[in-house]
Amino acid sequence: MRAVSIGLGFLLAALLQLAGVTVWPEFALAFDLILVAVVFFARDGRAVAALLVGSAGGLLADALGGGPFGLHGFADTLVAYTTARVAQQLVVERSSGVLLVFTLASTLQQALLAALGLLFLPSVQLPAAPWMVARALSTGVAGLLLAVGQRAATRRLLARRERRRTGWRG
Amino acid sequence: MSSRLGRPLLFLLLGAQLALLTWQVRRTHGTLGLAGEVTLRLTGPVAHAFRGAADRIAEVRLRAQQRRLLASENAALRAEVGELRRERLRLAALAVEADRLAAALAYERAQPLGLRAAEVVFVDHSSRVRSLVIRCGRGARINQAVVAEAGVVGRVIATAGGYARVQLLTDRAASLGAQLEEAGSQGLLRGGPDGQLRLEFVPRQLPVAIGDRVVTAGIDGVFPPGLPVGAVAGVEGGTEVFQTLRVAPAVDFRRLGMVFLVDGPAPPADELVRGGDAGR
Repeated sequence: MRAVSIGLGFLLAALLQLAGVTVWPEFALAFDLILVAVVFFARDGRAVAALLVGSAGGLLADALGGGPFGLHGFADTLVAYTTARVAQQLVVERSSGVLLVFTLASTLQQALLAALGLLFLPSVQLPAAPWMVARALSTGVAGLLLAVGQRAATRRLLARRERRRTGWRG
Repeated sequence: MSSRLGRPLLFLLLGAQLALLTWQVRRTHGTLGLAGEVTLRLTGPVAHAFRGAADRIAEVRLRAQQRRLLASENAALRAEVGELRRERLRLAALAVEADRLAAALAYERAQPLGLRAAEVVFVDHSSRVRSLVIRCGRGARINQAVVAEAGVVGRVIATAGGYARVQLLTDRAASLGAQLEEAGSQGLLRGGPDGQLRLEFVPRQLPVAIGDRVVTAGIDGVFPPGLPVGAVAGVEGGTEVFQTLRVAPAVDFRRLGMVFLVDGPAPPADELVRGGDAGR
């Protein structure tokens, strides 16, 4: 079930990312919805699952970006693992905390991408600083919205189950 | 198990990613490789579909903008057309008024009587007296005759400054001396309740035909002789000696716009121009 939801989440993120790029060419500079999905799924603290999710998400991001494969794969894997490890140590429930986690994850990813690009790619052009800031912030906001939405949906689901349970008893 | 597996798997995956990255960078530039080709084949059509959808959305937005622009332009043009129509109506009304005034002036100049034009303010059929109110400028005097191009209208029964009230011929209390133009027989013309006139005291042996013209006789001291009053519309009762004729008025009192006050002395009947002829 969880694998299906992760797959659907990635598919949705990929479609939205693709749609954004076709509508606005600079969309990929300002948004990384695959990373949002990766961090979102890695927040439950399961390190192995986070590794797999990060790796898959990174490769998907590489595929959408036209390669080279491994660039986002490496960065997103490490970001997902770090997020999972942090989630094991800290319980982040407040909105500001969630915003911070996603923003820091994006910052880490961009730093890793820059480092990998400088190390491995023959000619690399790093995005301008405002775009990097915008991408970090947009990831934070998108992650926060996603987390808030998930919280509300969970609350509604629990309330419905509770109503159904009490109804059966009555 | 998860914690024991986590770190080795991390290094394994990171190593694999780095190896993949290194291997790709060492490949000849310009080739995508199998994975790249598969990815391109998968994402290309999707991106193309998104591009098409985005283009269609932009087109719809453009059309909506154009439609709004056209709608506002259309509204402005409609307002302008409405304004032009109102202007045309105003000009048409002015032309009709000018024609009416020109005809009235021509009639006034053609008459040997001393006529003075007066504007009809309103026709009052509702009050006790069938009358009309006219604006006559210098004023009018009681019992002054009022005529129109078609014939006799009535006489002044009240004055107030530049305004006067004229009792119409069709008022039940109105009467004047009239005669059949062809036969020359005189009688007393009275107003009727149905908006028509009655010519009384016409000798019964006199042959009368429908449509015979009735003119003023000039015996009442108000109206000069020979002014058109109406035409015989039928014969009603009477006595053994006299008959009563129903007379349709020559003037259409509902369409009066301009009338004339008879200022001068009554001239001989043969000098009067027929009302209908002068209008033409």
